[in-house]
Amino acid sequence: MAYQEPILCARNLNLGYQKGRISKKIAENINFRLEKGKLTCLLGPNGVGKSTLIKTIMGQLPPLGGQILLNGKGIQKIGIKEISKKIAVVLTEKISTGTLTVRQMVELGRIPHTGWLGKLTERDEMKVNKAIRATNIQYLSDTPLSELSDGQLQKAMIARAVAQDGEILILDEPTAHLDLVNRFEIMHLLRKIAKEEKKAVLVVTHDLEIAIETADEFWLMQCGLPLVTGLPEDLIIRQELDILLPSEKLTFDKIDGKVRVLNEMVVNAIKGSNPLNKWLSLAMKKSNIHQLSEDSKLEIKEEPFSIELKTENSLQSFYSIEDFLKFLNNIKE
Amino acid sequence: MEYRLPKALTAVLAGITLSVSGLQMQTFFRNPLAGPYVLGISSGAGLGVALLLMAGSAFGWAVYGGTLGVWAIIIAASLGAVLVLLLMSLTAWKVRDSMTLLIIGLMFGSAVSAIISVLAYFSEAEQLKLFTIWSMGSLGGTTFGQLKGFSVATIIGILPVLWMLKSYNAMLLGESYAESMGVRIHRLRWGMILSTGILAGSATAFCGPIAFIGIAVPHMGRLVFRTGDHRILLPASALIGAIILLFCDGISQLPGSAQTLPINAVTSLIGAPMVIWLILRRNFSKEF
Repeated sequence: MAYQEPILCARNLNLGYQKGRISKKIAENINFRLEKGKLTCLLGPNGVGKSTLIKTIMGQLPPLGGQILLNGKGIQKIGIKEISKKIAVVLTEKISTGTLTVRQMVELGRIPHTGWLGKLTERDEMKVNKAIRATNIQYLSDTPLSELSDGQLQKAMIARAVAQDGEILILDEPTAHLDLVNRFEIMHLLRKIAKEEKKAVLVVTHDLEIAIETADEFWLMQCGLPLVTGLPEDLIIRQELDILLPSEKLTFDKIDGKVRVLNEMVVNAIKGSNPLNKWLSLAMKKSNIHQLSEDSKLEIKEEPFSIELKTENSLQSFYSIEDFLKFLNNIKE
Repeated sequence: MEYRLPKALTAVLAGITLSVSGLQMQTFFRNPLAGPYVLGISSGAGLGVALLLMAGSAFGWAVYGGTLGVWAIIIAASLGAVLVLLLMSLTAWKVRDSMTLLIIGLMFGSAVSAIISVLAYFSEAEQLKLFTIWSMGSLGGTTFGQLKGFSVATIIGILPVLWMLKSYNAMLLGESYAESMGVRIHRLRWGMILSTGILAGSATAFCGPIAFIGIAVPHMGRLVFRTGDHRILLPASALIGAIILLFCDGISQLPGSAQTLPINAVTSLIGAPMVIWLILRRNFSKEF
């Protein structure tokens, strides 16, 4: 593939707020390149400056140092009207209007492109229809916003941003408050938009697992560290995801792609088939049981489900994990 | 006829100005209970009139009826509204957050009412009566000459709204979204302050304070037309405002009697239950 000029890039960017002569630096020395056709996920703990970064990209907040280039041009020199034709956003703030229908709301996305009265041309109508189709919400077109579920509303907000027709789409935690199915749906939808519409999609998220599955690029932000960017899989292999986990007790498990507690004692080998095994050991970890006495053996059986605890001179059976844990806790006391 | 026509026209103009300023404030502040009283503009006009009518003995002037007196009242009300408007503008310069601006507006209103109370306490019975009558509002006091002034003020006040209709639609999604769609919030805020100041200020100057029209009418527009689009809501509010105020004026003209009820009392009597009913509706805040 030929070298692709990034639509948005940052050089030695310092983020923060300036109030009078006092400036509060939030993050410094940020470098990144955002490319079209890619889904980029920005991950980092709360308060690390992700929202500040977004505001700075949108031109609503001047950077304290360095610069952001949109199509090679400094974002400070571009007016917010021009920026609004290039960058569309979905924010975390809840919108408080219910009288609009989904379609009317999506039409608002065309505001940067319409005349002073906001009258839609044929081209605008086409873009609106396309955005509604791309997000699969045709059936909701005439529903008022007040009657939507959280997931439906989020899709409508994404449709509005798509209709705004910028080359860049930025979403601040679009999957927060959503159920599992909707989270998957939204992230896959965003991936589809990035691929099919050739947009640069930047998503701030805390959903590590879904992000690993869908993102083309990760940006990891952590207090006091430079922004780490790269292919998610590369970052996993290099153990770089650990910078998201400041506590030394936590690590990112390469094998099953989950965050784990380090240094925990391994529960004595449990005999039995895998899924049962896994859940039993998880339950034991949660109740802080990491080891059984040396001589005891644990076996877990399917059909009927039972847990057998054998010591040299006794055999005990349990028919639920809960009973088993109760028993262990009694011994401890 | 010579009395009725100017009165009806005044009702129409006052209905339009108050409703349109209420609509702007509700959308700008994203608050369903905002209205011309909220930014303290009507109270400011009240302060101007109170100073003119009741502080006379302290400052050594006296105002009694007659054409001169009426114009003096209009000028005093306008000055009062402009004064509060300037204070609000200074605050708007400093404060970026709309909610803060709203609260400061309410505080201005309370402070101004307190000053009026102090003035009322020290004023003489005659002056107090004059002010009380003014504060009851009146649509009947305007001459054709004043109507011309009122019409010009209305047109000037509505121009910024027409200019910013699209921005108001964008504001339905909140400030941040509006900004992301290229709306310059600062410019919109100044336009809103200027426009509502001229509209509500002139209505109060010519008719005295008229309550509830500014709050209730935009909601009626949303209810009737089931939309949030300001391209529809602006003419709808203006129309409904004019109709309602004409209707209130009709009621205030007691049938078969020469007596008229004070218009502010009539609009309050109709408007207060209306606002309560709106709030009690299940989805009021959601549908706003």
